[in-house]
Amino acid sequence: MKRLLAVTLGILTAFGGFVDIGDLVANAVVGSRFGMSLAWVVIVGIVGICVFAEMSGRIAAVSQRPVFDLVRERMGPRAGLVNLGASFFINVLTLAAEIGGSALALELVTGINYLLWVPPVALVAWLVMWRVKFETMERVFGLAGLALVVFIVALWQLGPDWGELTTQLVRPPQDEGVPTYLYYAIALLGGAMTPYEVFFFSSGGVEEKWTRKDLVTARANVFVGFPLGGVLSLAIAACAATVFMPVEAEPGSLGQMVLPVAEGLGKVGLGVVILGVFAATFGATLETALSSGYSLSQYFGWQWGKYVVPGRAARFHVTVLASVIVATALILTTIDPIKVTEYSLVFSAAALPLTYLPVLMIANDPDYMGAKVNGRFSNVLGSFYMVLLLVVALAAIPLMIATKAGQ
Amino acid sequence: MIPLARLAPLALLTALLLSACVSPAWDDHDYALKAGKTAESAVSAVRFARSVVAHRDRMTGPYAEVVLTEAVRDLSSVNDQFGGVQPPSDSSDRVRDEVLRLTERAESEVADLLIQWRRDGVKDPEAAVRELDGLASELSDFAEKHR
Repeated sequence: MKRLLAVTLGILTAFGGFVDIGDLVANAVVGSRFGMSLAWVVIVGIVGICVFAEMSGRIAAVSQRPVFDLVRERMGPRAGLVNLGASFFINVLTLAAEIGGSALALELVTGINYLLWVPPVALVAWLVMWRVKFETMERVFGLAGLALVVFIVALWQLGPDWGELTTQLVRPPQDEGVPTYLYYAIALLGGAMTPYEVFFFSSGGVEEKWTRKDLVTARANVFVGFPLGGVLSLAIAACAATVFMPVEAEPGSLGQMVLPVAEGLGKVGLGVVILGVFAATFGATLETALSSGYSLSQYFGWQWGKYVVPGRAARFHVTVLASVIVATALILTTIDPIKVTEYSLVFSAAALPLTYLPVLMIANDPDYMGAKVNGRFSNVLGSFYMVLLLVVALAAIPLMIATKAGQ
Repeated sequence: MIPLARLAPLALLTALLLSACVSPAWDDHDYALKAGKTAESAVSAVRFARSVVAHRDRMTGPYAEVVLTEAVRDLSSVNDQFGGVQPPSDSSDRVRDEVLRLTERAESEVADLLIQWRRDGVKDPEAAVRELDGLASELSDFAEKHR
């Protein structure tokens, strides 16, 4: 019974914690412009993140070491450094977007400009990372993120033309060019397969002292929690396709993105969705900030993690703090957090092979994995995704320039 | 030779700048396309403002104010950006006048609604919704013509 409760709680946490600012922005924008015609990308992204998160969770459970710890050892310091540089840059960019997202959610509640909320959000995030236990932190914000289920309820309440939504699945709008369609497909994939998710997942496994016995829990989190999170992403896109697409409105702010919930469910729904957005972005703030500390510390072989007292992992905590300060400073320049999110999605997509190739290699290495190396099915899927991610990585930046970032 | 890895940050920065900047209009056709895009962006902002006014009872005060403020800011930005593009010929001047007449009217209308909202709420919401619907429709027609 206790085990079942732990698995259920883990699934709910993974479900609630799946959506972050990148998923919110990408799905709302894509839904308003392309309807449901890019829903297939969300599904491709969910399968991809499930494949690689399962591998990284298995690596953590079997070797008791997180992925980045093994990257340098397995791929050498130079390749590891390139990997680290790209991941760290994208992490800090994503962190800035998440801090901005939390501040924007608070602006929607209070009416006070989000820039005034940025420093308090950053300070509280740092205090939470410093003081709160890893498991508590992950559970509280993951479960609070479940409030975003309100998008599904709002969609039902809005009473969309289901036939039209279904038709959109296979018929992209004629007035959007192919490069723009592909650009947004890449952004959506970047949102679903954000690199920090695997670093956090595998490092979290080590923080929670996973062993082979915990593989069932890890797999349940991945194979049930993440797809449920994907359903949320699709609901966000469907809400946007229902409310915005028919009137040619394209949401460019968090306030506009949650408008369908207000229209469908009124003030209560609005309150719940803002709570969900805050929980999702604040939770992701913690995950991205910790991921920065994890990746740098693991590469250089420093003591890391929240499972030891901060004094014993001083360099890890300094890295986390420095990342939060840099990301806060970036948002305080008044750069639009939604734009930062859009760029971070595309850069994430460009760096996807760097993140996932080492995961695939290590999961296949019997020296680390023993009998728990990838099976044939995992390898076929993993190899297919590596080819796909390579194509995506090569196309991301040229498409960004050619479409003027999707304009 | 400079290693590729060292060029990566420079390439990223260049890509970012290239994708973010507003390019000049090369000819009348290009200018008309930009005018169409400007009208499209304005339609979007007007629709959001319309939605807030039409569903005002389903929203909290601070939320509605934030969305209206964003609509005004977006329209102002649209006007500033397009106003800064040099029309290449006399015929483009007419396109410029036509689109700016609409977008500036939209900005003024939504800004008025924001002022009313901050005082005692929108005075005549039904009339405001009708006005915004009309504006959005005119902007949409313009965008359609210049696609």
